[in-house]
Amino acid sequence: MALHEISFLIEPQEGYESIPVDWAHNGVVGSGDMELLMQKTDSAAVQVNIVTPVAGYDAIWEKVLRKFVAEARLGGVSIEINDNNSTPYVVATRLKQGLLEAKAGERE
Amino acid sequence: MKAWEELISSSFYEATARQRAHGLVDAGTFNELGGPNKRLKSPHLPELGEAVSFDDGVVTGVGRIGARPVFVISQEGRFIGGAVGEVGGAKTTAIFQMALRLHDKIAKKYPEDASLRAPAIIYSFETGGVRLHEANAGLLAHAEQMELIQECRGKVPVISLIGSKVGCFGGMGFVSISTDVVVMSELGRIGLTGPEVIEQEMGKKEFDSSDRALIYRTTGGKHKTIMRDCSFLVDDTIGAFRDQVKTLLNMPYEQLKKYRSIGSLKLVQEQLSLVALAAVLQPKDSTDVWAHFGNDNPEGIPDMELEEFCRKAKLRHREVE
Repeated sequence: MALHEISFLIEPQEGYESIPVDWAHNGVVGSGDMELLMQKTDSAAVQVNIVTPVAGYDAIWEKVLRKFVAEARLGGVSIEINDNNSTPYVVATRLKQGLLEAKAGERE
Repeated sequence: MKAWEELISSSFYEATARQRAHGLVDAGTFNELGGPNKRLKSPHLPELGEAVSFDDGVVTGVGRIGARPVFVISQEGRFIGGAVGEVGGAKTTAIFQMALRLHDKIAKKYPEDASLRAPAIIYSFETGGVRLHEANAGLLAHAEQMELIQECRGKVPVISLIGSKVGCFGGMGFVSISTDVVVMSELGRIGLTGPEVIEQEMGKKEFDSSDRALIYRTTGGKHKTIMRDCSFLVDDTIGAFRDQVKTLLNMPYEQLKKYRSIGSLKLVQEQLSLVALAAVLQPKDSTDVWAHFGNDNPEGIPDMELEEFCRKAKLRHREVE
């Protein structure tokens, strides 16, 4: 019954970059949607924390997140997600949007 | 987040709570208080296996409109229907308290023109009322807000903005109508019991919740304007709501308070006379009420453009001016 929590660490690649702002938030926890909070950290590894009502898909979450972190060459950042039944495709899209907005936030 | 210029021309109906909060005040002035990085989540929802949100479904903060400090409360309907729980309720209550404290400071410093320097509160409702998962705390939040709205009278103008997807229902219907002014778009809806609940309790014959036209005739912005529950009907853009707020902020409180629906014995008597009217009129549909208030072609009202409606529609005469 209780919410399902997933936590794991992703080692960053060579030449990784953090986000240009202290923290960035994106998305709304609507049905089939999620919110993303990224925060700059001192450690290089990416700490991921996911809170979701759905259990049993930990491996898929990890796959989507690892792919995102690798492609974006992210490091020195924590990723927190509050999910409400998003599909892996929605998760991947929200992660990309979140990073884009975090980068746009610097320009403002 | 969209650029501010883009936000003000965006649909108010479709905007997220955070977009509305940023767009309603001057460009770049919105400062979120208790924002997502503070992680103020509901402690109750995880126990029930329900998704949580870092802002608990309400965006709170302060910005400026011209020289005036403007506190903003903006509910997010996508998160559990914008329902009010313990944490979101406390965030909202805190905004009222901060606005009152700031008012007192300003009134002390500028006693001669405090009313035009004082902070205001704009409250963008998108909610079904109490969050049933934490109903006691949610109800308490309703009661606290009702009390704070009364405390704000004559000090801090409180303006309700209603034009979002979920509308404003349940106990929050009461809260929204007890502020100084109600601004709506045609797509805004205010009610007590939501359409689906009426159908569930009283049957489809009493109220067909799949009949969108019926829902708008009964709870929508045009009906609420004719009934004088809503004082200003505006276009469905964040900018149109913002412009109306700007106009209201330039009014002295003596003028602003004339838009109140409750708050004095006379106003309550006026509301009661409407209950009596309903008993006499026995309306079968809102169109019967519109006709009673002098609209010759009530069936044509739902299709009118905003400009035509504002020009032609006959509104209920207010006894207390």
